[in-house]
Formats: sequence, structure tokens, C-alpha cells
Amino acid sequence: MNHIGHGNKEIVERVIAPEEAARAIKGLTPVPVSNQIANEIIDIAYGFFTPLEGFMTRADVDRVCKEMRLANGVLWSIPIVFDMSSEEINEKGIKEGDKILLTFQNQPMAILEVEEIFAYDKQEMAQRVYGTTEEKHPGVARTYRYKDKFLGGKITLVNPPKINPPFEEFFFTPRQMRQKFAEKGWQRIVAHQTRNVPHTGHEWLMKGSWLQAHGELPVEKTITGVLVNAIIGEKRKGDYIDEAIVLCHDVLRKAGYFREDVHMTSITLWDMRYAGPREAVFHAILRTNLGLTHHMFGRDHAGVGTYYDPYDAHRIFDQIPEADLRIKPVRVLEWWYCPVCAEVTYSGLCGHIKERQNFSGTLIRSIIQDGVKPPRLIFRPEVFDLIMECAEKYGFGDAFVTDRYLKERNPVFVLPEMKY
Amino acid sequence: MSITINIWINEERLAKLQKAGLAEMAQEVLAGLKVLKVPCTEEQKDKVLKVFPTAKYDSATTRSIELLPREVKDKIFDKVVEKQSLDIMEDFLKDY
Ligand SMILES: [Zn+2]
Repeated sequence: MNHIGHGNKEIVERVIAPEEAARAIKGLTPVPVSNQIANEIIDIAYGFFTPLEGFMTRADVDRVCKEMRLANGVLWSIPIVFDMSSEEINEKGIKEGDKILLTFQNQPMAILEVEEIFAYDKQEMAQRVYGTTEEKHPGVARTYRYKDKFLGGKITLVNPPKINPPFEEFFFTPRQMRQKFAEKGWQRIVAHQTRNVPHTGHEWLMKGSWLQAHGELPVEKTITGVLVNAIIGEKRKGDYIDEAIVLCHDVLRKAGYFREDVHMTSITLWDMRYAGPREAVFHAILRTNLGLTHHMFGRDHAGVGTYYDPYDAHRIFDQIPEADLRIKPVRVLEWWYCPVCAEVTYSGLCGHIKERQNFSGTLIRSIIQDGVKPPRLIFRPEVFDLIMECAEKYGFGDAFVTDRYLKERNPVFVLPEMKY
Repeated sequence: MSITINIWINEERLAKLQKAGLAEMAQEVLAGLKVLKVPCTEEQKDKVLKVFPTAKYDSATTRSIELLPREVKDKIFDKVVEKQSLDIMEDFLKDY
């Protein structure tokens, strides 16, 4: 099996066996971590962030901000940092060279080998990564919420998370994912990044990018697949609930809109930064590590507000030397509904510019909120029915995130109880 | 293309429109949906977004204000029926 990931480095896996783990954590100072950091620990430990083996040191952060590269020269676009306040560092007597125990949900999670404790100008970081210092940009706000110090160093997972239903069948580590692709006989796999319940515009984006990725290959055997990779992370009120996003994507295949052998749904734990073009590069890296060969980028990929031009996330790939990325960007325009063609069609093909009718996830949401069932050409009835079911089953009656969902939802993963 | 608020016509709203003899006012879009497209000026849009913080203006794809609470849209709809016109936002926003 091919285990070469981003930067032509072998897929990182930093997880130790339970017996060894109990011994390894004995006597280490415990430090509780946030949801974001817990997600990133899992990502680092299973190699989603290959070649990273831990949280970044200053040299990495600095070069990522200024040149979009790690200190070793490998392409990288978003700082991955572990933050802690000076007070807590002093209180716990943490210094460079120490090992500390990162805990989550009151359980041991990972060991951090503290290689460096450093500060970094957060405004500078925001400006470089997001192109703005405005706090109303959610990625900038996240940067400003970091405490005043960062701890860089390798991490080792000591207590693998248990992924809860209904997510467990969609979570694959990079090594497991590659195994899965090998079983399916897929040679080319195109990523569809999502945080949305799919409408037919999304469905066609996936189908179109499948055709693009498949390209010149022979067609009698299925050797190209679409991987839906849903980003599961911090939720905002009004977003679709995670359960609906994942299950509704999966139902597109179950209901036959995709053949059983060409489509697969999966999740990655990550708190979106909305960094537009830089986040597009980051998504490309992530999916390289998952073993994909192509990545679809639509209009305004990972953007927010009007901070980025809708096609900035396409253009950034023009500036990246081909050798720096093992995945090919598949750049696509919008799909729209055309009443003349009487179909959902590609804006790069349909000439009925005046008659075209754009639709978006937000528009569909407002249709549903008004108590109207969208036509099947726009929104699949199986998806509609499943949204309603997910609302009842997981959303306390609502398909969109509410305060109650934020407080009482079943967590995506739990850390098993572990003595320490 | 001006900024609009899309009032999607569910059965209840359709019955009211028909009763008022206004069924013609609704346009058909997206392969069979009926909608009232209530126009807004730039200033009215800003006020709507301020008064109803859940609302979102999609400047890129649809140039419409979406995600207004159902009750608010019902009120806008009732105003349209009452005035027999789509040009009601100025009047509607007076109460806010
Ligand atoms: Zn057309």
C-alpha cells in the first residue's frame, strides 16, 4: 500500500498501545485542552496533518505565515498551534524539554513533548493568513482567542477516541482510508469538501468533477471515485446539524443518485478557519494525506463575507509548483437551474445567462423554513425526508443548530475512561 | 437585478393569494416553485438585516435576503395581500 502523504513524507501515525500508554503518562502534569485542540491532536496523531508530528514551533509558524511553507520547506498554509496562557504555564511550572499530559473530557488524551514555548504577534498572524485583521472574520477571531503563549512539540496519542454513532462508520484515518480505496479499486479519487446538506447543485458539482478527474481513463471498470469529506468541527447557530450533513450526503448514494461503486462519505475533524485561498491549500493537503488524487474547488471555497474574490481559491493553485502538491485541483464554476434548458446545468456551458436561476444552500433553507418542499430537480426528496428525520432524532426537532443542540448534543467522539 | 425577499408560496399562502385574486402575482421559479419576490432598496436591506439578526443577505449568488423568521415572512406576505402590491417594504419597515 502507498503510504506517502503530503511533502512526499510517509503518513505520520503517533499512537501508542494502551499498556505502554499507562506507563508513559505516569507522573506527567495534566493540562486540559479545548475542543479545537482535541480535534487537532487526533488529526496530527493519525497523520491527517502529515508531515506534522506535533504542534508547530516558532520557525514553522513564522515561515507558514510569511511564505506558506514549513521551516523544512514543505508547502503549508495554516498555523497549527497549541496555545496556553503565561499564568497557566507558570502555575504548572511547564518549561521547554518537559513532557505534559493533554487531557480532554477529563481523560488523558496525548503527551506533548514541549520543545519550545514562544509568543507570536497575533495581528501579524491574522494579516498573513487571512489577509485581514478584522475581528469579524471568524478565522481572525479564532486567532485572537488564542492565549498569549504557544507550545510547540511532538504529540503522541495515548487514548484513541471512540467515534459515536452515526459518525463512526464515516471516520477513517488516512491509513484506513487508503486501505478502503485499494479495496474499491479506485485509482483516482476526487474530494468534495462540505459543511452542507447537498442540493442538486452540489450533486452536479460532484458528478462534474468526477468526469473531470476520470478524464482519459477507460470506462468499463469503475476506477474513479468521489469522496465526500465533511468537515466536522465547531458549530454555529443556524448551521445544519452535523448528523444531517453526513447522513444526507450518504443517502445520495443509497438512493441511487450515485452508483454504489463510485461514491463514499467520510468525515474529518477540523474547525473551519474560512481562510479562503489558504484554506483551499490546506484542504488539498488534508485530502492528499487521505490518499486522494484530485480535489474539487468551487466558487468561494472556504470563504466568508466578501474577504476573498470567489475565484481566489482557484488562482492560488496557479502559483504553487506542481511538485509541491501530490493532488490536482479540479476547478469548477457554478451549476444553476435554467428554465430554458429545463435542467440544472453548468454555467460554463449554458448560454441562457438572462434566464438562469441561481440557487444556494441558504436559498433552499429559506424554502424549507417557509414550509415548502423544493422540487426534486433542485433538492432530492430522499434528502428532504432525511433532514426531517435527523431533526427529530438528533436535533431536538430542528435540522439547524440551536442553543439546545450546542449544549446537549451527543458528542462526535468520546475518550474512553483511563486511569492516570 | 434588484435585491429581493423571497416569500415562498406554501399551501396556506397560496389559498390566501387565490382568495384575494392575487394568484397571478406569484412567479414560478426553480422547476415548479411559486414565489413572491418582494423588492428592497439598499437601505431597506440594511435595516432588515439590522432588525432581524438571523437574516442573511446573499450578495454573491441570489441577491436575496434569506433566513428571515417564518412569522416575519408571514407578516410581509400579509402586507402584500393587504396592499395588493409587492412594493410594501417601506410601509412594512415603519413598524420597526
Ligand atoms: Zn440554458
